[in-house]
Amino acid sequence: MDLGLDALVALMDAAAGRCAYADVRHVVTEEEQLVVRGGAVESAEHDVSTGVGVRVLVDGAWGFAATSDVSSAGLAAALARALATAAALPAGLAGRARVAEPPARGAWTSPCAIDPFGLALEEKLALLVEAEAALRVDPRLVRTEAVFVATRSDQAFASTEGAAVTQRRTSCGAGLSATAVGAGEVQTRSYPSAHGGLVRQAGWEHVLALDLVGTAPRIGSEAVELLTAPPCPSGRTTLVLGGEQLALQVHESIGHALELDRMQLLEAAYAGTSWVSVADVGTLVYGSPELTVTADATVAGGLGTFGWDDEGAAARRSALIDRGRLVGTLSDRESAGAAGSTQTGACARADGFARQPVVRMTNVSIEPGGAGSLDDLLADTGDGLYLETNRSWSIDDRRLHFQFATEVAYEIRGGTLGRLYRNPSYHGVTPSFWASLDAVCGPQAWSLWGVTNCGKAEPGQFAAVSHGAAPARFRDVEVGVA
Amino acid sequence: MSAELLGLAERALAAASAASSSDQVQATVTRERSLASRFARSAPTQATGIDDTTVHVLVVHDGHAGTATTNALDDDALRAAGARARAAATAAAGDGGTGDHPGLAPPAPYAARDGYDAATAALDPAVAGAQLRAAFAVAADERLEAFGIWSSAVVETAIASSTGVRAADAVTDAFGKVVLRDAGGRSAYLSGTGVGVADVDLGALARRVVAKVPRGPLVDVPAGTLPVVLGEEAVATLLGYLGGMAFNGLAHVEERGALVDRLGTSVAAASVTLRDDPGAPATLPRAFDAEAVPKAPLTLLEAGVARHVVHDRRSAALAGTASTGHATVPGGSSWGAGPTNLVLDGGDAADEHALAAGIERGLYVHRLWYVNPVNPRETLLTGVTRDGTHLIEDGRITRPARDVRFTDTVLGLLSRVEALGASPRLVSEGEYYGRRFATGVLCPPLRASSFRITGGA
Repeated sequence: MDLGLDALVALMDAAAGRCAYADVRHVVTEEEQLVVRGGAVESAEHDVSTGVGVRVLVDGAWGFAATSDVSSAGLAAALARALATAAALPAGLAGRARVAEPPARGAWTSPCAIDPFGLALEEKLALLVEAEAALRVDPRLVRTEAVFVATRSDQAFASTEGAAVTQRRTSCGAGLSATAVGAGEVQTRSYPSAHGGLVRQAGWEHVLALDLVGTAPRIGSEAVELLTAPPCPSGRTTLVLGGEQLALQVHESIGHALELDRMQLLEAAYAGTSWVSVADVGTLVYGSPELTVTADATVAGGLGTFGWDDEGAAARRSALIDRGRLVGTLSDRESAGAAGSTQTGACARADGFARQPVVRMTNVSIEPGGAGSLDDLLADTGDGLYLETNRSWSIDDRRLHFQFATEVAYEIRGGTLGRLYRNPSYHGVTPSFWASLDAVCGPQAWSLWGVTNCGKAEPGQFAAVSHGAAPARFRDVEVGVA
Repeated sequence: MSAELLGLAERALAAASAASSSDQVQATVTRERSLASRFARSAPTQATGIDDTTVHVLVVHDGHAGTATTNALDDDALRAAGARARAAATAAAGDGGTGDHPGLAPPAPYAARDGYDAATAALDPAVAGAQLRAAFAVAADERLEAFGIWSSAVVETAIASSTGVRAADAVTDAFGKVVLRDAGGRSAYLSGTGVGVADVDLGALARRVVAKVPRGPLVDVPAGTLPVVLGEEAVATLLGYLGGMAFNGLAHVEERGALVDRLGTSVAAASVTLRDDPGAPATLPRAFDAEAVPKAPLTLLEAGVARHVVHDRRSAALAGTASTGHATVPGGSSWGAGPTNLVLDGGDAADEHALAAGIERGLYVHRLWYVNPVNPRETLLTGVTRDGTHLIEDGRITRPARDVRFTDTVLGLLSRVEALGASPRLVSEGEYYGRRFATGVLCPPLRASSFRITGGA
């Protein structure tokens, strides 16, 4: 695909001298969404968009103009608008000089064994239709759904510092959900994860590996079973969180809290701030010694994996928390510079061509521990609760006080799973919760989970990120709502 | 302007219709031009200008829907979009016989709404600069820092369909919010929105926010229930979620909604009347929905009694009724329809202070944050307070309180309403994910006899 990299480089030549810095991204996005519901294809949608976003830095403030007109005239007009926008504003924040980064050069493509856009639509729908049909095991199921999504993003990037790169990223995923109504209850069960299925930076081979058809009957049955399951008991107990729920816990109470722009108050009016300050890096005890967390934009299959971030910084793996101690943050060139660092965290990411990059998670993962498989961990646990598959989430604007609910809870009794419970929830305070972590399953139970709808910035933009997680155990957690 | 977009919609319609005369086709063109200027620590941070036009093609083939979008506007791109939409609809049909899509709407006259302001449509960056400077000046005078956004936009929509629909509209909106924050991190917040830039004055908002910044030590509030006064911002957030949980016609038909078996019964206090009114004074007006069905006022709660849910054509067909003009996407969303112009009628209280006069010990909540459904069928939500929570003591809003988590049902809260403010104000979240679609809730502050606090925040 010709992304017009030469034209972008020419535009940057025109921008040089008119601003302190400029960059430009040409993004071509293709997306397919399929929904099968109640025995019929409810939605089959195929979207394409192309556009350019030009960003300029003038007196410390960013101006940005996005347009779908990718002609030479369109690019020039966008540059002019970006400059005019920035020039009309007061001066930006002082002391935010961007750290240096070698100009990016080259091309990068994400791995993809079976191109989801190369398959016949009928083939993809056939799998979803078969899986959705297999969900419908009981007349109390009022809504059964199989969904598929695939995204391809082709991007060219250039800057006034001489960067010129192209990237192609392909992701896809699928999932099931079954909702049952009865006995005054509405209960939903999802697989392999809630909120739209499990998405990875991979091809159709990832969807095939999910075994949707084989798993569907269990999901439908569990939704019905939840209707008459007893409510999850309340009180303080030992909690084992499944990988998917733990991934969201990491996302909300570690990932966002460590975004450096939040610590620097740039999101105070919207997404919020952080209970962590820049001065805490190196000293703050974030959790128990079982807690080691990394940000890794190089891990295969991650939604936050790339060759370069959206301001041309090379992908890297960074330590965030090392055996409980805070050692790093998520940053871009500007926030890193403002914090006195000499290196960016390469976390500048933008949603399409019509949004500016902001500090985002890449793939923020809790490293596997030594607790073996889930069965090993349960056997070691004795008594407690096992919670799986997120249903609801809420956390304050400093990322401190949270409350989560999951679709199911199982009693852990004598080291094995027992009774099913409905409507489980738990709440806590971030550092206390992570301090109660005392075991993490091993590599055999570790998996990459995706969050595709992480919202931030204004105008709002979504980011797709991944979190590697294995089931983990937490002691003395408050279960239920006060 | 709208004529140009209608011409584009007709081109897209023709390109998609050429392959088959038996299929129904709707072409929807949306053009967004917007400018959003963010600021933090009394300085601009990011300013984002957008100019993008999207063509959405919906094909209904034998009762099955397929859609495709493009933002390339040449004939080849429009033909390709039509072909993709047709291929999707044909694949959806497969061997399965006739689908359940009821087909596209017939032409229907719609009321013109006064939702366009030429000055706003100019998107003058100098206006943004002046607004930010005004807010910064107020903050500087008070030794506070200002955070927020100033944003304005013009969005044009045109729909052309094979059933003869030709509809076009252009709306503008302006949105601004100011958070003032002291060195200790205590903050207060106000937002404003309207059809035009003249409706939002960041300097004036900032001056009102100054009085709301908490002074003095924060008081802890233990878990339990307390009488509460909710400011307009908080009320709007709760009603926005209620829209999806209770009034979504698809959820209602699928027996997942909060009003299943409750239409026609009392679900809120008699003082509560909630409407969806696209032409209400001070709302962000809309003429038609995403299926070109004209929008009209609809009573949702009348003196506390649940009256209606909202539908698009697809959920209406499942329910055996007619669309109420609440489609959010062409062809209907798989998540159902939703209200976009909620109006909660006011009462007699002059303002939040008058509402507080009836409370011996309670809580004033200005803004809610990170609200999420816990049990949609029960309208059970959880979330936290933010930016200006105060105690109410002996009938007055007094000491600043540490933010709290709430877990409560919206219908339960509405059934405990004791009084409402007299002057509803338009409140918007101003988030604008994806293509800009400005909405707001017109509501007053209210007093309820109890609000369930379940922890700190």
